[in-house]
Amino acid sequence: MKHPPQNLHQRLRRANHPRLWLLAGLALSFIPHLPRLPLLIIAPSVALLVWRLAHELALVALPGRFVRGLLTVLALAITFTAYHTLFGREAGVGLLVVMSCLKLMEMQQPRDITVVVGLGYFVVATVFLFDQSILIGLYMMLVVVVLTTALTAFNRGTAQPPRWLNLRQAGQMLLQAAPIALLLFLLFPRIPGPLWNLPDDSTAAGTGLSDSMSPGKISQLSNNNAVAFRVQFDTKPPPATLRYWRGPVFTYFDSKTWSNPDHQRRPGAPYQQPGFRAAGTATDYTVTLEPHQQRWLFALDLPSRLPLRSTLSREFELISKSPVYQLRRYDMQSYTDYQLDPASPPDQFRYLQLPNNAAPRARQLARQWRNRFANDADIMQQALQYFRQQPFYYTRKPPLMPGDPVDEFLFDRQRGFCEHYASAFVVLMRAARIPARVVTGYLGGETNPLGDYFIVRQSDAHAWAEVWLSGQGWVRVDPTAVIPPSRVEDSQDLQRIAPEAALTLAPPGWATRAWRQLGFGVDNMNHYWNQWIINYNDQQQMALLSGLFSYLGLKNIDWRDMVGVLAGGVTLVLVALALPLLRFRRRRRDAITAIYTRFCRKLARRGLSRNPAEGPQDFALRAILALPGNASAIVDISRRYQQLRYAPRPPTDGLRHFRSAVRRFRP
Amino acid sequence: MAKQPDTRPGRFNLRRFLQGEGPEPGPILLTQNRVYILPTRHGVFFGLQLLVMLVAAVNYNNSLAYALTFLLSSLCLVAILHTYRNLLHVQVDVAHIPPVFCGDNLSAPVRLDNTRKGTRYAVGLQFPPQDPSRVDLPGDQCFHAGMSLPTQQRGRHRLGRLTLHTTYPLGLFRAWGHAQFDRHYLVYPRPDDYHPLPVTPSYHLNLSGDRGVGSDDFATLRHYHPGDPLRHVHWKIVARGQGLHIKQFGGDRAEELWLNWDDLPTLDTEARLSRLTRWVMDADTAQFSYGLKLPGSQIPLGHGPAHRHRCLKALALFGANTPDTGTAQTVAA
Repeated sequence: MKHPPQNLHQRLRRANHPRLWLLAGLALSFIPHLPRLPLLIIAPSVALLVWRLAHELALVALPGRFVRGLLTVLALAITFTAYHTLFGREAGVGLLVVMSCLKLMEMQQPRDITVVVGLGYFVVATVFLFDQSILIGLYMMLVVVVLTTALTAFNRGTAQPPRWLNLRQAGQMLLQAAPIALLLFLLFPRIPGPLWNLPDDSTAAGTGLSDSMSPGKISQLSNNNAVAFRVQFDTKPPPATLRYWRGPVFTYFDSKTWSNPDHQRRPGAPYQQPGFRAAGTATDYTVTLEPHQQRWLFALDLPSRLPLRSTLSREFELISKSPVYQLRRYDMQSYTDYQLDPASPPDQFRYLQLPNNAAPRARQLARQWRNRFANDADIMQQALQYFRQQPFYYTRKPPLMPGDPVDEFLFDRQRGFCEHYASAFVVLMRAARIPARVVTGYLGGETNPLGDYFIVRQSDAHAWAEVWLSGQGWVRVDPTAVIPPSRVEDSQDLQRIAPEAALTLAPPGWATRAWRQLGFGVDNMNHYWNQWIINYNDQQQMALLSGLFSYLGLKNIDWRDMVGVLAGGVTLVLVALALPLLRFRRRRRDAITAIYTRFCRKLARRGLSRNPAEGPQDFALRAILALPGNASAIVDISRRYQQLRYAPRPPTDGLRHFRSAVRRFRP
Repeated sequence: MAKQPDTRPGRFNLRRFLQGEGPEPGPILLTQNRVYILPTRHGVFFGLQLLVMLVAAVNYNNSLAYALTFLLSSLCLVAILHTYRNLLHVQVDVAHIPPVFCGDNLSAPVRLDNTRKGTRYAVGLQFPPQDPSRVDLPGDQCFHAGMSLPTQQRGRHRLGRLTLHTTYPLGLFRAWGHAQFDRHYLVYPRPDDYHPLPVTPSYHLNLSGDRGVGSDDFATLRHYHPGDPLRHVHWKIVARGQGLHIKQFGGDRAEELWLNWDDLPTLDTEARLSRLTRWVMDADTAQFSYGLKLPGSQIPLGHGPAHRHRCLKALALFGANTPDTGTAQTVAA
């Protein structure tokens, strides 16, 4: 090496600053993707980034053309190995990350640099496809600032000081762009729905409720506090005991696992809808559903309206046409007081199905009850009585039941959570020839006192049963609810399962309360973020504009008006920006000369006018001879003038002192 | 200067857009109707990318992707203003361009006045088809750039169009403005390789008689002017405290040399001019008193820089028939 070895700091100072900004921006844009990227993608990307950084520090050379070609082939192979495809959301991100790192290997020309900055902006956009939280939004804003700084630095060319100039320039431009962006966000006509069908991302892990249920297999119910959905009631919210949020319904039991054969099918022609008789008043509300990669939509038992782009199954499940990848907001209506299909007896084959070998002891018990009671309702009551009287416990950590889960739960262990109770109850009912099915969903939800809405969390997931009684139709039965409070292990669960009993518990301490209050505040912020930013759509857009237009006394607006308002607004903002930016500043006369001229004018009034060829020194000499009383002032002013004009380093406050000296001068 | 009606500033005109204003005296202030702006190749590419992002945002119905697309689009709009502003109200002028010999590079002293307080970064200057040079114009100051231009032909030439351009800050747009100055420069013929001077010294009879060949005699004293050779200072008078005086020598004899076009009948026009140029330079260096005879014109005997320029100019403009070129009689100082 030609130069003596330098330390890292010196190398960093010597490095090309625009490229360092770019590397930083690109690396920062990858960070949110890290948890979803396989190691197979992360490792080569980091290696390439480090390679480029080392090159910027003049430590290594960049690869030649042949090696680059080899690396490109390798990158494609790696991506394909990791995802088994190169298309779709997940694989697309993997490919984008690897390829933009690869592009770093040949980044020399300004053209390449602009391309890499563009790729960086693109990575930012892909992050939003997975996460649109406030924090990610703010963080990505930072990344955009860094990338824009890199672009500015490249176009400035030299890396002369001032050091933070590029950052300032980029920040200033983004700030100026913000109002225009806001107008575009609010008024750019939103086209609803996907333009083409999105590819199904089978690799995307689902959160929330799954489409099967295997009590006895899970030894611990997850205590996931993530928000499942939020609900804003337009009418009076139903009491806590009626807040059952209906989700997937299971009809088929294979002695271990509950499932629903309909779920495997694509939603086709809707079934003959079951009869539905509503009583009482409707409850209107809006659900803001967090993305859970599945097709369920949740509604209060029992929904009386269909959200857009969804269907209703024969078990009254709301099923979206496409998986919920994005936050989804829908208006709903439900009747909590209802009768479902009381007239026609249900499909015996479907709702009485039990595998032959399953739960022999439970069948025996059910047969005894069947012999004892003629009425289905009495048998149902007897079953609930059984749960109440036998020492059943509610626990989040039940023992594993590897044999026959229903019998083991009912007769040996007698410890479990909602899924165990619902499953066992439905098996008992079916054994007693009463049509029954398992309903899963959520129960309850807590009010956010700061935001007047309900939060339903993943930990509120619940399972209950529905039985068909002649004359009443499908009736909801929650066997978990009959467990006495003394046999519920966790007070948190008690609050959910038996809200009245929980009131008798000691109130939580101040720290808990404060913590919860903080949690409510954050959730409230998230709720509004979701409502106004994430889920801002064509309808909200129209509502906003109608509000604006009705204020002006106009009606009947359509998208053309919106475009008009948008164009007008953007023009206004641009003009407001352009006026100060493009104004021509007529150069003021040089301040020093102006002040000195004032001094000469003052002397001229005393009959001493400066000859055009007379220098300040000669003039001062003549003035002192004529006005000896002002000698010191004249000398002072002349000295200051010459200092300002000719000194290699004029005094910092010179102009101010010079001005005040001339102002005070009274010849 | 009389302007065509269709080239009035302020009205869009394709010729003006492509070629800029006609020649005009400096200084030229790049006002709104002189600065143009269009997207660069990167800018077009970036626009396409924004379109793809918009489609993705629509397809996934993703609000933050919308927001990002809109922010970057707005950034482009703002960048238009900033790029335009980076060139707007630059005042540009070109000072006198010293003559050069053909084949040498001339240096056009371009003076750029950044009329604004803030620095203007990465402003490109270019006399097409030369390569551009990129400068930063510090705030509230004049920046002097010597633009180097090759010369290919002797004569009087109009200075080419100066293009100022910038893509700062984002490189997505390019603003440019043309300045065509009504400014000419002179290119002397390329001096030939060394050829001995046609020395046939002619002795000119002086009325005062011959006072000795080869000796320059003292004639008179005069006051010193800056630039006078120090060896002519009359040091004895200085020593007496009477100020600096110069001894002037008036020779009755000088080596007189006529450089004659007709002495070179074997060469073609340009070669003759080239040879004569060489001789003018050598005669000047040798401090001869020389004159130039060209077909149709004649420059009397003389010496000194002004005389040299006069001769070289006559050679540069030889054969040119534009009114500008004139004859040796119209010599600018």
